[in-house]
Amino acid sequence: MVDPLESEERGAEAGRQRFILEDTGFDEVPRKYRRFYRKWRGPADSLAPNEVICPVCKVVIRSTRELRPGDRVYCMPCMSRLVVFRNDAGTLEAHVAY
Amino acid sequence: MAPRAVSAPPTDIHDLDPQAFLEEVHSFEFWFQAVEGYLSGLTYGHRPETVEAPLSDLERDRLTTVLCNYCVGETAALEGASGLIAIAPNRLAKVFLSTQVADEGRHLEVFLHRLRDIGVAAPEAEVERRASLSLRLFKRRLLELVASKDWEAAIFAQNVILEALEFAVFHSHAQTADPITREVLLGVVKDERRHIGFGENEIGRRLAGSPHIRARIGQVKKELDHLVLDTLAETVQHIGLPRDEEEQLGRAYLESVERLGFV
Repeated sequence: MVDPLESEERGAEAGRQRFILEDTGFDEVPRKYRRFYRKWRGPADSLAPNEVICPVCKVVIRSTRELRPGDRVYCMPCMSRLVVFRNDAGTLEAHVAY
Repeated sequence: MAPRAVSAPPTDIHDLDPQAFLEEVHSFEFWFQAVEGYLSGLTYGHRPETVEAPLSDLERDRLTTVLCNYCVGETAALEGASGLIAIAPNRLAKVFLSTQVADEGRHLEVFLHRLRDIGVAAPEAEVERRASLSLRLFKRRLLELVASKDWEAAIFAQNVILEALEFAVFHSHAQTADPITREVLLGVVKDERRHIGFGENEIGRRLAGSPHIRARIGQVKKELDHLVLDTLAETVQHIGLPRDEEEQLGRAYLESVERLGFV
C-alpha cells in the first residue's frame, strides 16, 4: 500500500520541471559538484526556475529540479544549508537554516 | 545492436542528508579538490603571464599601505584559526579550521610577496610600520578571545566579523585593482567564502541551541564594531574608493551579523 503522503509528494515532484545542468566554469568546489553552482553576473543577470542566490556568499545555487518554497538547497562554496522562500515580490530567495 | 540503458535521473546534491553534507564540506578532501580548481597553475596567487601594470608613486604607496593592513588581518586570522583548533567542539570544526589555517597562511604569503613585487624591500618591517591602529587593536582582542577559550565569541570575531569585512573589502578592491593584485584578491575571496560560511553557520547553530549566549556575542560585536568600521574607512580611503562605496561595504559587512539577529 502506498502511503497517501508519499503519493502526494510524488505527485508534486512529477509536476516539476527538470533541468540538465552543465558546467558553467565555476571552479570553487570539487569538479563533481561544479554544475550545481555558477557566478552571479550582476544586475543584468536573471535566475532560472531552478536557481536561487546564496545570501551568504552571493553564488547562484542550481538544482536539477524547479525550485519551490520549502525546498532545501546547499551552498557548497560557503557550506551553508538554505531553505527556499517566496518573497513579497513573488520571486524565490534562500534563507540560511542554521 | 543492444538497446542503450536508460540512465537514472540525475542525482541532486541538494538531496544529501544535512549531516552527510557537513561531513563532505568540512573535509580536507573537499578543500583540496576545491582549491585545486582555482589555484592550480598560479604563482603566488596570480597567473605567471599576467603583466605588471605601471603604478605611480602615489598608487604604489597607497597599495603598500593597503597590502600591509591585509597582512595584519591575515596574520590575525592565521593565529586565531590555529589557536581555535584546540578548543573546537568537534572533529568537523577542527578539520575545517585546519583548512582555514592553510588558507590564511597562503593569503599572508601572497600579500607579502605582492609587497615585494611592487618594490617593498622588507615587507614584514613595512607591515609593522604601516599597520592601522584599529586593525592591530582588533587583532589583539581577537587573540585574547582565543586565549580565553571562548569558542563562540572568538569564532564570531574571526569568522563572522573579520572575514565579512575582508570578503567585502577584497571583493570591492579587486574591481579597481591593477591586474596582478586583482587576481590575487579574487583567489583570496574564493577562500573567504568558506570562512564566512563556516562562521555564520556555526554561530547560527550555537545561538539556536543556546540562546543565552546571544548577549555575550552581542557585547563582543559592540566592542569590535567601531574598530571594524574605522578599519573599513581607512582602507576605503587608501584604495581610493568613493564615499558611497564605503557605505555599501559597511552594509555588506553588516548583512551577516544582521542575519544572525544582531543589529
